[in-house]
Amino acid sequence: MQQHPDRRIALAYGAAAALSLVLPASAEEDPIRFALTPVFLTSDLDLLDHLKAYLEKAMERSVQLITRRTYQEITALLVSAQVDGAWLCGFPFIEHKAQLELVAVPIWRGKPLYQSYLITSRDRQAEEIGDLAGDIHAFSDPDSNSGYLVTAAYLAALKTTPDRFFRQTIFTYGHFNVVRAVASGLAQSGSVDGYVYEVLRETNPELVAATRVVRASDWFGFPPIASPVAASGSPRVSAIKAALLGMHMDPRGQEVLARLRLDRFDRESPELFASIEANRNLVRSIS
Amino acid sequence: MRPALSLRNGIPVTISVPIVVVLLMVFVSVGASQLVLSRLSSSQERQLRDLANAYLDGLEAVLVGPVLRQDSWEVFDTLDRARNAYAAIRPVETTVTDADGIVLASSEPRLAPIGTHLDPADSVDPAGSGVTLVEDRHEAILDRALAVEGRIVGRIHSRLDISPLLAERREVLWFLIASNATLTLILAALGWFTVRRMVAPMNVLLEHVGKAAAGAVEPIPASRINRQGREWARLFRQFNRMADAVSEREMLLTRVADEERLASLGKLASSVAHEINNPLGGILNAVDTIKVHGDDPKVRSSAIELVDRGLRGMRDVVRSILATYKEDRESRDLLPADLNDLLVLIRPEVRRKQIVLNWSNRLPPRTAVNAFGVRQVALNLLLNGCRATPNGGALSFLAKVTPSALEIEVSDAGPGLPSHVAEFLSNDEPSTSGVVSSGLGLWVTKRIVKELGGAVAAGKSPHGGARFHVVIPVVLEVEREVQRVA
Repeated sequence: MQQHPDRRIALAYGAAAALSLVLPASAEEDPIRFALTPVFLTSDLDLLDHLKAYLEKAMERSVQLITRRTYQEITALLVSAQVDGAWLCGFPFIEHKAQLELVAVPIWRGKPLYQSYLITSRDRQAEEIGDLAGDIHAFSDPDSNSGYLVTAAYLAALKTTPDRFFRQTIFTYGHFNVVRAVASGLAQSGSVDGYVYEVLRETNPELVAATRVVRASDWFGFPPIASPVAASGSPRVSAIKAALLGMHMDPRGQEVLARLRLDRFDRESPELFASIEANRNLVRSIS
Repeated sequence: MRPALSLRNGIPVTISVPIVVVLLMVFVSVGASQLVLSRLSSSQERQLRDLANAYLDGLEAVLVGPVLRQDSWEVFDTLDRARNAYAAIRPVETTVTDADGIVLASSEPRLAPIGTHLDPADSVDPAGSGVTLVEDRHEAILDRALAVEGRIVGRIHSRLDISPLLAERREVLWFLIASNATLTLILAALGWFTVRRMVAPMNVLLEHVGKAAAGAVEPIPASRINRQGREWARLFRQFNRMADAVSEREMLLTRVADEERLASLGKLASSVAHEINNPLGGILNAVDTIKVHGDDPKVRSSAIELVDRGLRGMRDVVRSILATYKEDRESRDLLPADLNDLLVLIRPEVRRKQIVLNWSNRLPPRTAVNAFGVRQVALNLLLNGCRATPNGGALSFLAKVTPSALEIEVSDAGPGLPSHVAEFLSNDEPSTSGVVSSGLGLWVTKRIVKELGGAVAAGKSPHGGARFHVVIPVVLEVEREVQRVA
């Protein structure tokens, strides 16, 4: 699974160089700028290479993939239209829905939905969230739905907040890191993206085996791809949309989807994220 | 037994030198090993300190930010990645605390959970170099303060597994022990071999000197001399020259002993001449009588009778002298007459000094001892007694045979023997000093008795003078057979 980073980078540069020679000079010189939250395995540079290669081929122009450490940075780039599109979480999407336009939503196991998991170490006796009181708890990101908002909303329903309920909370800025924190014992429990957790079951079985799921949440809208409202209908956004929606029909796209363990990308209504918005409101009402 | 060269304590040089070599080697190798090990440990420690400091420097550079922000995840992530990046120095556990010693994160979170206070027992030597070796736990403990603008904001505390270092040290120790032991054994064997070679000629010399002291001077054979180095060959040749000189002297002494028989004849000459002259006068008178009155058968027969008696006396004297001084004597058993003959030889002296001779010859008809040797001994002792005894004094002679030996005893009425002479006679050492102290007669007597396998003892005589007691063992039939065959 893991490859040597240098080789991957070399391959990426090689691929980029080859593409820049082949591709015809575009009217719009700027490459498509596409940002990614650490919703999935940001550490997998190989995946990024494949995604970039597919997008460049599908759109017939160069693509710049942008990653940042926090959701907030990606959201800021998107809202300020410094990128043409971004794969972000449902939580920042509803937070900025006035400035953002929904481009596409991934379909995972036949649905545009996913869950949040509360996890703890494998050998621990814990059956419900109440058993996790006083823990050191690992969140993914304060702007993550599955990695923060779902658990915060659950606690809000119990009229408490994460800071009161847990002894200490730490943000690891990555779902993969939440699993690492819980597996190593740094945190006693964590809130993690159920989709990422399921993928890790296949790719990092030993790491996941050191943990177990205490509770799986309700289903929420899968982290979507959005673009700035200002660029709505622009050729750049249309190109992105077309590339995403057609991914499952292209062999390279299929390979990217296979790596992501996703079925395809589809058009969805922003209403898909209404339950996230409800959770956001619940949490705000408590704090 | 062959004498072996040895030091004063009696341990042969061939053993003691290798032992000294072994002790010296053990001493040297223990010292050298100590030096090697201490150099090894100090170089290992220096290397470990360098590596540990590089590890701490790397962590410090990355961790100051997260520690300031109290970002436990960043700290953990850094430590977790460093575990692989610095696998060579085998970090067991690294924990980062804030300035108050509260754990921000540890590479082993279960041992040091977030928010706990770091056990102060584990904080070793915070003021020192930051690296402390705890050998019994096989660990090195690192401690580093995280400082920003001169203020301490946290601490890195780490434990490294140093068992490979200790294993290397142990390995080197065993290697040193094994190689030194092998070297010591080889040197000891070499020492033994060398010393053995070195002392071999010394032992040859000892052997020959020992034999010479026992009376059998033997030169070292030329084949043995040629095998040696120049120095030893020279020494051996010198020894052989000495051996030759000793043999020559021995030969001369033997000649002296032989000559002494003639010398005693010389001493007897005048009395023997007198002994022959007396009957000769009577015989000449008888011959004159026969010339004048030969016709008278009575006178003639009485004169012839006189001549006959005189000639027989002369024949006895001559025969006795011949018996004593005949060269090429064959060995034969002793007869009583052999000793009685001696009476003829000493009679003139006895008569001259009017000595009262007490003669007791109790020999059986045949005794298995060398007759000529015994005669010589008895004659020497009798002459010595006659000379010592004053006019009119007593002289006793006794000869008898016990089942194993012939015993002869001569007692005189002389002034007795000086003590040093008595000592010389009973002393077993071959020496020529007795010639001077005792006179040639007694010296030769002792020599002959020794040749016959017997012994002489001197003491006080009942007549007030000296008493000599000679014991000569009787030769057994079997020995005689062997002698004859030989």
